[in-house]
Parts: sequence; C-alpha cells; structure tokens
Amino acid sequence: MNWNFSAGNFSLRLPVSEQDGDALFALLKEQSRVDHIPRSAMTVDVQALDELRRMAMRFETREAAFWLVEGLYDKQLIARIGIQKINWMLSCAQLQWELSDAADLPVLQEVMPPLLNFCFSELGLHRIEVRLRAGSEPHETLLQQLGFHYEGCLPAQIEYNDTSVDMALYSRLSTD
Amino acid sequence: MKFTPELSFSGGRVRPLTYDDVDALFELYQHPELPGQRVLDNKDNLIRMVDLSVQMAATQRGMMWALEVDGAITGMVSAFDWQPSLLRTMLRVDGLPQLTLAQRSAALKVCMDFMAEKYHLRNFGYQWIEGQNEEFKTMLTELGFKQSAVMRDAWRSGETSFANVVQFNIVLDKKKPVAGRLGEDSDINPGQNLNTDNNKDGGAA
Repeated sequence: MNWNFSAGNFSLRLPVSEQDGDALFALLKEQSRVDHIPRSAMTVDVQALDELRRMAMRFETREAAFWLVEGLYDKQLIARIGIQKINWMLSCAQLQWELSDAADLPVLQEVMPPLLNFCFSELGLHRIEVRLRAGSEPHETLLQQLGFHYEGCLPAQIEYNDTSVDMALYSRLSTD
Repeated sequence: MKFTPELSFSGGRVRPLTYDDVDALFELYQHPELPGQRVLDNKDNLIRMVDLSVQMAATQRGMMWALEVDGAITGMVSAFDWQPSLLRTMLRVDGLPQLTLAQRSAALKVCMDFMAEKYHLRNFGYQWIEGQNEEFKTMLTELGFKQSAVMRDAWRSGETSFANVVQFNIVLDKKKPVAGRLGEDSDINPGQNLNTDNNKDGGAA
C-alpha cells in the first residue's frame, strides 16, 4: 500500500526521521499551532527528532500515521495531519492536525477529501473523529466547513497547566 | 496483595473476581447486553479475565468486581480506560436479566465512591450503546451523570453495521489531590495494597 499521495497542489507523505527534523520543529515551535490539542510547543530542535522517531514507531505498529503536507512544487511544510488511536476492530481513528498560517480553508479543502478518502477506502475505516480543546477557534469552524459533525463536549479529559480541559468532539463517517 | 475491595450496598455486594467464579461468569456472558456482542462459547478466556482483573487493578488500568445479590453472581461492574494522572475512568455494568435497575445503580455508585475516595478520581464516564435498555440512561441521570456527546457509529455491532454511542459523564466537585512521593505514608496516599495497616478500613476512608 502506498501511504504517500498528492492532493491538488499539495503532497502528503510519511515523514523521514533523518531529513524532516528542521521543518517539523519550525512548524511545532509556535504555541498557537498546538494550543487546540492542547500541548506545549517545542522549545529545542531535538524534540522534533524525538517526535519523528515516535511517529515512525507508532506507524510500524499501525497505531497511528502522520502525514507531512507540503506544497507540491516549493516543498514547504504547511501542516502535519495524522490519525492516531486507530481501532481496527471498531473501524475508527482520531484525527489530529497542526496547521501553519498557510493552511487555510481553501488549502484544507484540497487536502482533506483525498486524506479522508484514503482513510475510508484504502484503510477501511468508518469513523474519523477529532477531539480538540473546546472553544478552539478557528479549528472548530474549519472542521464544520469541512463537513465534520459536532457531537458534543467531553468534560475534564486532560490536565493541562493545572487546568482540566474539556474536549469538543467532531466526526466524519464514510457514509456522510 | 489485594487491590480490589469488597464493598456492600443495600441488597448485595461487589467483590473481587476469583477462579471459582468462572461458571457464574460464563452464565453471565450467555446474556450479552451490548449490540453485536457474541455469546461466549468457552470458559478459557474467563480464567484469563480473572488474572487480568488482578493485573489491571495492580497497575491502575482497570478494576473488575463480581456483583452479588443474595449470594449469587448476577452481574459485573468494570472500570476501564482508567487514567490515574487524568483522574478519570470509564465504567460499565453487565448483568443477568434478573438484576434490577436499583441493584445495578447501587453497585455502580458504591464502586464509584470507592474510586473517588481511594484514588481521587473525579471524572467517571459511561457509554450507553444504542440498542441497550433505555432505562439505563435514566438510571445514569438519576446518579448524577450528564449526557456529554452522541458519538455517531462509534460502536461496531456487526461486519458492516454500527451503533451510536451516547457518552455520559459525572465530574465530581472535588478538590484535586496534591502529588506526593510514590509509596510515602500519608492520608492522601496510603498505597494501593488493601491488606496493609494503612488500609485496614478497606481503603475507602
């Protein structure tokens, strides 16, 4: 199975540990790009290498898959989008994204349909859900514009900075 | 070492699973409550389940209780997806047809109270799956649970069929514990082993 594919003017590919550290660090060192998860931004570049290795291990066990989204021609990294907690029995997975400023709605409208199609058709998943900190704008608006359905809010799911964080829940089904 | 306590409630009790329970548990699994759940056809997995119930409790991943009414096992209470550092867990009750709603509710409450006292858990979740008894939702609401989300097709009920999952949560208005050193003697962290002097009262002080 080929896990790398193109989507309009963008390519989605699995990361390569030895070469993607700098670009990933540049993406994930901004707090505003990970606030919705929520998670602390990276502060030193070796964290990116560590993250790349972790991604590779999680992919090996087919527990998760993360794609780097790059411009097809300029090869600039504009987002990382992944599915994790893949449950092959229940045919579902959780989607997570970190977006640069360049990854706006028109870009995501090019990228997300092929990605979801890959998840539903190639991987045979039925449900892709997104859990993110409740009130995370503009992510929640983007999700709705991309056809995700709001399902509710799960209370006190994460302890972050001494605060209990409620997580909003969105989903797309293969039948939507 | 003992990690799962025996707890009494009006009309019955919950207690740790033992190998002697295998026949009763096999009977319980002849009456699956979840849509698409298959009837169990051999007892081997139940012996493994008793082992797992001890391992899960010891490592704070889950806890399983046999639910007894009048000395006979009529159900099971399970805590799973236990996240100690996030102070939350999911709960589930499986019961024979004769297990009443009141008994189910009382058993759930006594287990919840124990985990809140002993492990300082403050967020309990329960997933009701479309096709289960509608009265379970009322029971949860009466216990203080609130509906959090309707998760579309989140439960697989067959090869190509799915069921919605309604998630309920109860978040206790309870002060979060202050972290202490592992194993230190203190009121807030008396250790897991219920057989030690620190836990003579059963751990649910």
